[in-house]
Formats: sequence, structure tokens, C-alpha cells
Amino acid sequence: MGITPGPAIDDAMKQLWVRFSPQMQARVSTLEAAAAALTAGALTDELREQASSEAHKLAGVLGTFGLHEGTELAREAEHAYKEDPGSARNTADHLTAIAARLRTLIAARK
Amino acid sequence: MLHTSHKTSNTANWPPRQADEFLENGREYSEMHRILIIDDEDDIREVAALSLETVAGWEVMVANSGAQGLARASQYQPDAILLDVMMPGMDGPTTFRELRKNPTTAHIPVLLLTAKVQATDQRRFADLGVEAVLVKPFDPLTLSEQVKSILGWN
Repeated sequence: MGITPGPAIDDAMKQLWVRFSPQMQARVSTLEAAAAALTAGALTDELREQASSEAHKLAGVLGTFGLHEGTELAREAEHAYKEDPGSARNTADHLTAIAARLRTLIAARK
Repeated sequence: MLHTSHKTSNTANWPPRQADEFLENGREYSEMHRILIIDDEDDIREVAALSLETVAGWEVMVANSGAQGLARASQYQPDAILLDVMMPGMDGPTTFRELRKNPTTAHIPVLLLTAKVQATDQRRFADLGVEAVLVKPFDPLTLSEQVKSILGWN
């Protein structure tokens, strides 16, 4: 390669993070809405599929920005929504906690 | 040329190839591979492009859908294609089959990008006949090395 990409890519990644973190926060908002609907026993198929899709996207991108815990949590949420989480109270609580943790992780990354 | 600012070639034309052309740092032109990234997710697309441009110094073109990717692959003849699996409209596997049907793109190596990590999904994608299946998230610092290793560009 003959180049030192570290500093250049670090700076560029920071810029991309600033640009795309609102989009990631919006994806977490969908997960929060789905978890709230599940808790209320009002999760529609449409919102469940949307939550699964947004979780899938978060799983694919968060680790790229170094948030590997976020990728694992998002994968868990994707799987839960894809498989239909039903109405079990502990599942709703768990998915609520995942959304909250994802919110924290994304907000904390600089 | 090291791309220090991130400007992917959404609309810019790639220059014609000249085998004897050399870059500023002395690398042979033939080492500057041309990569097409097809992904509907703009964050992944941008990070992958940044990675391949900045770390490897490759020419990168992007497409945000399977249909756009087919057109750009045919027009610009990249050395390889990174193709997302899950896209609205024409998904990755369908796009791959269309690339293989077209004589102008049938020879281009394709690497699938997917966030699906289950073994059944991985096998299903590998059975399509792609060069490799790369799992998202990827490491921006090593993505180009992965691609080079898979395609024997070392």
C-alpha cells in the first residue's frame, strides 16, 4: 500500500459517524416504539417487521464503527422481532432494555 | 493517489485504463483496482467506500440499488463488486443472477455483503456461486485486505 491510512481513516470515520448517527438514533426510535407497543400488547405485524429490519441494519453497521456490543444487541433484537416475540412480559422488558442500551451506546460514541 | 477526503464516485466517470500509466507514488496503475459497491444502506456504502479508497487507494463507485448496480457494472467494468444481500426491490441474489446473465458483467467477481450470520444463510449465499460472503460489520481497516486475499490480488 505504501500509505499510512490510520489517521486519515480515523478522521473520515468520525465525520461519517457525525453524519450518520442521527439515522442510527432514528432506527433505535423504531426499536423503542416496537418495545413499547409490545409492552402494551399492541405490536402490529407492520411495526414488528419494521423493527426487525431496523435492527438488522443496526447490526450490520454499529460494529463497523467499533460498537460491537451494539451489533450483538441489535442481532438479538432482530432475531426476536423476526421470530415474533409474542406477548411475554419478560421479552418485552428485555427488548425495551436492548433499545435503551443501544440508545446509550450510540449517544456515547464520539 | 490517496483519497484523503471522502468523495465516492457517485456520478464521476472513471478514467480509461492505460496499462503503462503510473501513479504519483510509483505504484503501477494496474494496482489501483476498481470496485463497485452496491448497497441501499448509505452508511454501509459510505464506510466501505471510504475504507477501500483510503486504505487501499482503489477507485470506488457506488450504487444504491440492484438496478443501478447492474447499469454501473456494465458501463464501468469494475474489477470486483461488493453486493449487499438485503435490498428493497432487486435483492442481492437476484442482482447477482442478472450480472451473470449479462455477457458484459458475467466475468466480474462478486463478493456478497450480509449481516446475516446464521450458517444456513451463509451456505445459501455461498451456493449462489459468488466469490465469497463477507459478514457485516466489517473492519474498515482490513476490508481491502480481505478482498485482496479472496481475489488473489496480493
